[in-house]
Amino acid sequence: MQQRENAKNPKQTLQVRHSSFSAWQIGERTTGPKTLDLKSAQKHEKEKQQSASDQAGNSTQDHLEQALTYFERVKDYIPLKKNEVLQKHLATVENIALQRGLSPEGLDVLLNVALSGHLADTVNSRILKCLIPASVIAESSVVSAVSWLCVGKCSGSTQLLFLRWLIAMFDFIDHKEKLHALYGFFFCSLQDEKLCPYVCHLLYLLTRRESVKPFRVRRLVDLQAKMGMQPHLQALLSLYKLFCPELVSITLPAKMKTYFKNSESLWKAAINTIRRRNQGTSPTSQQLILGTCHPQSRKRKWNTQLILPACSTNTNNPTRSKEINHADILSHSESFPVEQLHTFSQLLQNLHRLEFPSQMGSVLRNSLLLHYINCVKDESIYLRLYYWMGQTLQEECTWYKLDNQQYEEEFKDFLDIVYKTECFLQEGFSSCEEFLYKSLPLWDGFCCRPQILRLVSWIPLSSFSEMKPHLCEPLAQLFFTSSLYFKCSVLESLKELLQNWLNWHVMQLDMESDPKISPLNTTLSGLVNSVAELIHFVGWISTVALRLENNATFLLYFILDFYETVCDVYLKYNLPLLLMPPPGVFYPALLSMDSVSLNQLCYIMYRYRTNLVAAKENELIKKTILQFKFSSQTYQEYNQYIMAMVGCLWTSSAFQKDIHPQGIRLDPEVLKKTRVQEVRNSFNIVHHPALTGYAILFLQQAWPKDKTLNFNLIKGRRWNWYLEYLYMQGLQGLKLFIESSINRVSQVSQTKSGNVQV
Amino acid sequence: MSLVRPFDKLPTLNSAVILLVGTDERRQQQLAEAILKEKKNFKINIHVATSLPLPAERDHVRPRIDLIAFMINMQSKHSLRNVEASLSHIDANFFLGKVCFLITGVGRMNHCSVEMNAVRKLGNLYCSPVLFCELDSEGIRVATAQRLLRMLQICAGHVPGVSALFFSSLMKSSIDE
Repeated sequence: MQQRENAKNPKQTLQVRHSSFSAWQIGERTTGPKTLDLKSAQKHEKEKQQSASDQAGNSTQDHLEQALTYFERVKDYIPLKKNEVLQKHLATVENIALQRGLSPEGLDVLLNVALSGHLADTVNSRILKCLIPASVIAESSVVSAVSWLCVGKCSGSTQLLFLRWLIAMFDFIDHKEKLHALYGFFFCSLQDEKLCPYVCHLLYLLTRRESVKPFRVRRLVDLQAKMGMQPHLQALLSLYKLFCPELVSITLPAKMKTYFKNSESLWKAAINTIRRRNQGTSPTSQQLILGTCHPQSRKRKWNTQLILPACSTNTNNPTRSKEINHADILSHSESFPVEQLHTFSQLLQNLHRLEFPSQMGSVLRNSLLLHYINCVKDESIYLRLYYWMGQTLQEECTWYKLDNQQYEEEFKDFLDIVYKTECFLQEGFSSCEEFLYKSLPLWDGFCCRPQILRLVSWIPLSSFSEMKPHLCEPLAQLFFTSSLYFKCSVLESLKELLQNWLNWHVMQLDMESDPKISPLNTTLSGLVNSVAELIHFVGWISTVALRLENNATFLLYFILDFYETVCDVYLKYNLPLLLMPPPGVFYPALLSMDSVSLNQLCYIMYRYRTNLVAAKENELIKKTILQFKFSSQTYQEYNQYIMAMVGCLWTSSAFQKDIHPQGIRLDPEVLKKTRVQEVRNSFNIVHHPALTGYAILFLQQAWPKDKTLNFNLIKGRRWNWYLEYLYMQGLQGLKLFIESSINRVSQVSQTKSGNVQV
Repeated sequence: MSLVRPFDKLPTLNSAVILLVGTDERRQQQLAEAILKEKKNFKINIHVATSLPLPAERDHVRPRIDLIAFMINMQSKHSLRNVEASLSHIDANFFLGKVCFLITGVGRMNHCSVEMNAVRKLGNLYCSPVLFCELDSEGIRVATAQRLLRMLQICAGHVPGVSALFFSSLMKSSIDE
């Protein structure tokens, strides 16, 4: 297709080529690349026209092969100036590499020539910048390239660029065993001040537990003393410390924002282009991957796909399995290749000899490896995962990039995976927390909304003072200005956050009873405070939201749903904390127009009662001074609410009995002025606006002929029938509430009743 | 004289007036269109200005302004300076909850010529909320229009029991203190 276009309209193609060219050149420091390009382009044009007329079927592939043969034959220093042949071939290579990537063989040839020192530095850097693999990079080419470094023929800047390339392409290298063997060589390069940050990054990627040796630790500590606290050195040291804490005695900062400079930027765009090209049509592609199939390379596949390859791909290749064995014997006799892991029983059998893949991100989609992470409890795994995740979240975050639908889809996908992993491991990631803290203040409340809010629910339990400015305040600002649905989703995710914290607490309690595991480092009072602060925060925003949204039932449902968790904290999660909802939530629910809200409120009050009674009993039984006692304020608040409720629903004395300062007590004088008849019983279970519908249906069924709808008929025995009717309609919360909180003196009387004070 | 005042005129029944101030007229236009497209149960008047003060001669026909949104582009120092200069032309009573800052272009961190701190300081100094939004993207523009409408409704007194002053106290963040 492309070729046909070439033949038809060579000029147009040329222009396109040329523009992409100069775009590529912008980053380069060479002088006058434009004129050079122009020349080569002109030359090229002639050639193109010729070849187009000669052989229409010939493809760009031939040009590439010619160029590669040319580069392969370079044996002596070749200047760039006035060398049109070189320029032509260079242009061909750049063009094709950026469009489709290069084969492993091509990469090998170009790497060799770029590092051999036969070409000018500008040419070397142009070559290195276009070394984009179409599939994989052979380990052997990397090794031979590194050997060129030892000869010292190439300049410092080329070496540096090569190292950056190596870091950026690390995951594309098909095997890494021999590369591991070069660990010592790379380590020696640390002394070069300019290379040091990149070498550190490379070593960070390469380091395994066996690589950590006392002499290396000493060397690093010396370097740090000489060069000061450099983030890259600290990164490497902290990795060493994780692998062998006994060897590294110095203290390192616990949290670091960025360890390394970004090395990928030069190649990232091109890699993405090729990735998209290879993936073809699917727009919601996986994040961070080259989606091609590479049956000949086991590592590559593993690294790129984020999923395990199918069984069939690595069963039928005897030579390859030999190769694997060979590689295993060389350095890692014990490890079990992760990509052969397919079943849970395999996991159990090989638990002791599993090694994580070099790209930690790939574990996110593999439930077996997640199980493994869960059981090995190795800090270094989390460090690697967090490091990678933090960087990815930061780089890919969509509201830093603009108007890019595809990026947004990918980022959403990625956030979904992260969330699922958090659910799987039942654990919040600190890298996600950091990301949220950093980006929520800048969030517009729209991009990836469901994903972001779900991540909020997994913020690890920490002191609320840290969470408040970074999370609560930006969230509250968005909450108050955004739609009803946004408010509901925020409440939903805060409820899940509370549940996750409480679950975590229960887990910790279980572990504490196991003496082998060290006790939790957060104190119980710290935990209680954080949870209480969260509940207060939700109470505050709920009160305001109900005001803003005019007591919307939908919103009230989500708020009461939150309190369904809160009211059971003591019994269900064993946390000595009970907080009543604020009056701004309680009264709208009590006086709501909807039976659903009223029923929910009744259920919540019933659970509060159960919890408070249980707490009181525990206090009495133990007779010991408990560390945490519910304050008398909680009991007092509960009693005030319960009096208001019973007054409202049962004794028809809502406006007299309510003693809550923010309650609905009204002077009889004022009530008289309203001129509403039978004010007293206007909120009892017959007349309550949420229940009148039931009352009417009940009347219609009981007295089908009576059309006057006389509510006063419902009293005495019929009151009980009416109650049974309500229960049958599914108002179970009301049933529980009435049966528990209302002391019915006799079955007939409906006025003589009172609340139980706890 | 040409000071814009929040309370010197009587409000019109069932309507609200928002004033957008900013140098980027294209985005202003887009945002205004997005606001007009939203469903609402009151009449909305959008006034646009690149800077304040507003021309004095048409002052008598101008309705009472309920909310002023200053638009700042993080990529342009000029937009910030323009807003800073304009702020002196409005009555202090406006800062009781009837002003907000819309910040665009936070995304492209590398291209920001305005410091984030400067913007936060501005919001803190004038006791007014700072909203971040990328007006170039359609979805965010709609979401921002909805948020502005909500604030406008409150500022115009259409939400019973919630005043502009009360609302601004909710939007205040303690980080700045």
